[in-house]
Amino acid sequence: MLFLFIIVPLLLAGLLPLLGKLSKRFLPDLLASAAMLFLLVLSVVSAKPLIAGGGIIQQAFWFGAPLNIRLLLDGFSLFMLFTISLVSFAVTLYSINYMDHYGAKANYYALLLVMIAGMNGLVLSSDLFNIYIFLEMAAIASYALVAFGRGHEELEASFKYLMLSAVASAFILLSIAVIFGMTGGVSFGTVAQGLKTLNVKYVVGVCSGLFLAGFGLKAALVPFHSWLPDAHPSAPAPISAMLSAVLIKVSGVYAMTRIFLNVFGLTPALTTVLTVMGVVSIFVGALAALGQNDIKRMLAYSSISQIGYVVLGLGIGTPLGIIGGLFHLFNHALFKSLLFLNAGAVEQSTGTRALDKMGGLAKVMPLTATTSAVASLSIAGVPPLNGFWSKLLIIIALVQAKMHVLAVLAVLGSVITLWYYLVLQRYAFFGKLNEAWQGVREAPFWMSASMVLLALLCVVTGLVFPFAIHSWLQPAADVLGQGIGVALNFIGF
Amino acid sequence: MNNLWILNMGFVALLIGIGLYCLLAMKNTVKLLIGVEIIAKGVTLALVASGYARDNLMLAQAMVITVIVIDVAVIATALALIISINRHTKSLDVSKLTQLKG
Amino acid sequence: MHLFLLIGLVAFSIMAVLSRDLLKSAISLAVASIFLALVFFHLGAVYAGVFELSVVAGLITVLFITAIALTRNDGEVAESKRHRIVFPLFFLALAVLDILVMRKLLGQIPAIQGAGSGTFSQVLWNQRTFDLVGQVGAIFAGVLAVLALFRHDSPKGDSHE
Repeated sequence: MLFLFIIVPLLLAGLLPLLGKLSKRFLPDLLASAAMLFLLVLSVVSAKPLIAGGGIIQQAFWFGAPLNIRLLLDGFSLFMLFTISLVSFAVTLYSINYMDHYGAKANYYALLLVMIAGMNGLVLSSDLFNIYIFLEMAAIASYALVAFGRGHEELEASFKYLMLSAVASAFILLSIAVIFGMTGGVSFGTVAQGLKTLNVKYVVGVCSGLFLAGFGLKAALVPFHSWLPDAHPSAPAPISAMLSAVLIKVSGVYAMTRIFLNVFGLTPALTTVLTVMGVVSIFVGALAALGQNDIKRMLAYSSISQIGYVVLGLGIGTPLGIIGGLFHLFNHALFKSLLFLNAGAVEQSTGTRALDKMGGLAKVMPLTATTSAVASLSIAGVPPLNGFWSKLLIIIALVQAKMHVLAVLAVLGSVITLWYYLVLQRYAFFGKLNEAWQGVREAPFWMSASMVLLALLCVVTGLVFPFAIHSWLQPAADVLGQGIGVALNFIGF
Repeated sequence: MNNLWILNMGFVALLIGIGLYCLLAMKNTVKLLIGVEIIAKGVTLALVASGYARDNLMLAQAMVITVIVIDVAVIATALALIISINRHTKSLDVSKLTQLKG
Repeated sequence: MHLFLLIGLVAFSIMAVLSRDLLKSAISLAVASIFLALVFFHLGAVYAGVFELSVVAGLITVLFITAIALTRNDGEVAESKRHRIVFPLFFLALAVLDILVMRKLLGQIPAIQGAGSGTFSQVLWNQRTFDLVGQVGAIFAGVLAVLALFRHDSPKGDSHE
């Protein structure tokens, strides 16, 4: 059943270019949205009960015949699956209107579906080499999606992104090759057992370094972040949302956390490196965001800063820190995709991304302005919205772990975040309406619907956060808290 | 057997070093891609060397073939990008890509 | 013999980097691939060697040469002359460092012997079926990417002509 998460998008991606010949818009829109809704429902209704008693390994079936594919599902991967499905559903709804003027819609949806299949495959895989393959699959689709508009800027951003990402993949694969050379296998279980028996600290150190560089590049942690502020703003708005909200987290943070916590085991040295990288990312991202005039570039730098919070939380390694990090990951997926979708709506209506040319748009685009205000307050950590609770958890965890300096810095970063989001709101939506935008209209129906959906989720998650933590985050955090025991359990499958 | 692995790994490091130099120092977009290819060669060599040293050559070869297939997809995408960029700038010079400030 | 093949591989890689003519670079890269394939044969990795020969030395070289031919509309890109001096220095430093580290590691690394079993097709089809799904996905992604970049409708907005 879990195999559906990979094979449904992949099959549809193969069919869409053919169906696109029959109907240029209607069929691709309908099928892509239906597929995303199906995956979302599947992750909530069918996958959740499967792991009631802890993580499982499920064999894949193809029309009743068993395949030699074993998929790993536990609290952590289910949590990621749900996040991916939720954001991709909202993004697909938004694309119905937004992607019309780009042309080649069937091709666009096909690439989006391949990217989603890649991310789902990565989350469900139980072996280092599979992680690499699905990482690359999602990455190749994302290069094409960044360049989808085929303007000069898009092509250039995509090329830079491709070069850095190819190096990151090479580092990851090299590390896998070294581990394979040490332990003779690549599945989580074999590697965890092998490294435990061998007890070779320095080689694990080298491999950790390679993984850190590789996944750090994919997650755009400082100092590996230089590609993100180019690639994310250049992409079409729904793709910016997808990349910032999910791709960097799945191919960077998820893969890194899974390997470091469940396969290598978290060491104090690793905790130090991760928390320091997290805090540095928070500040570099936030300070760079302050100086931006391009709305999407500001959001892109803000992604670097917020990913810093996620890594900081996960890096602490205490149960509360992990819950805080994961909760912030989910919240960031919601509000950052919403903010990019807002920016896309503004760009489509006014034709500009420069903040100083906007002004007063709240009068003509009330829905976009309201949802954007919700997202901005959330990301800045204003109670009782969801971003407040996750940042609070991370800061409490830092205090509990006696990392007082980092806790103060995290609070400070949050203040800067509030500052630049107020700047964004003031320039874009408040004040006197710029003459040029008198005739601007609200975004079309599906774009508005998707923005309202995400804004409601931000508010609801904030209000019912104890429930969210209990039913979705706790199982995920438990998996990470068990350390390498998780991987050792799966030996023999 | 282990020493042969280390010898091979030494050459892997050399290949990756050459590839990284190419990526950092060269200006021609096609040259950059050649750098990526050299790094990929180093990594495939590392996989086969590891498989040979651990008596698990079949697994290593299965992985190498997957890596090569993925590599073809990456290179095809990158070359398509280079050709498209060339239509805009009429040049392969990466220093003319100055639209974005990184 | 093994060492000789490895040195050939590195030498042709260096030629691919330093050569001024892109076509020569691409061909040097292909020759480097042939050396790598020979290394694979020498280690007994026959399937990987055949694949390296046919796909990397063959297909990828053809792709490179096609792209070079399609983009050849204004002379060469002027690479700086510094590489003639900087690269040998860089390479020497790298090689010395490499030899020192590897000498230190000789005989130091403990390892677990893997349980290599079955023929090649058994391993590929029975143990690594999931990889094949990933391969199909990567090929899809590559084909769709090329289709998207070379589609026929007019590109959006900012052309810089």
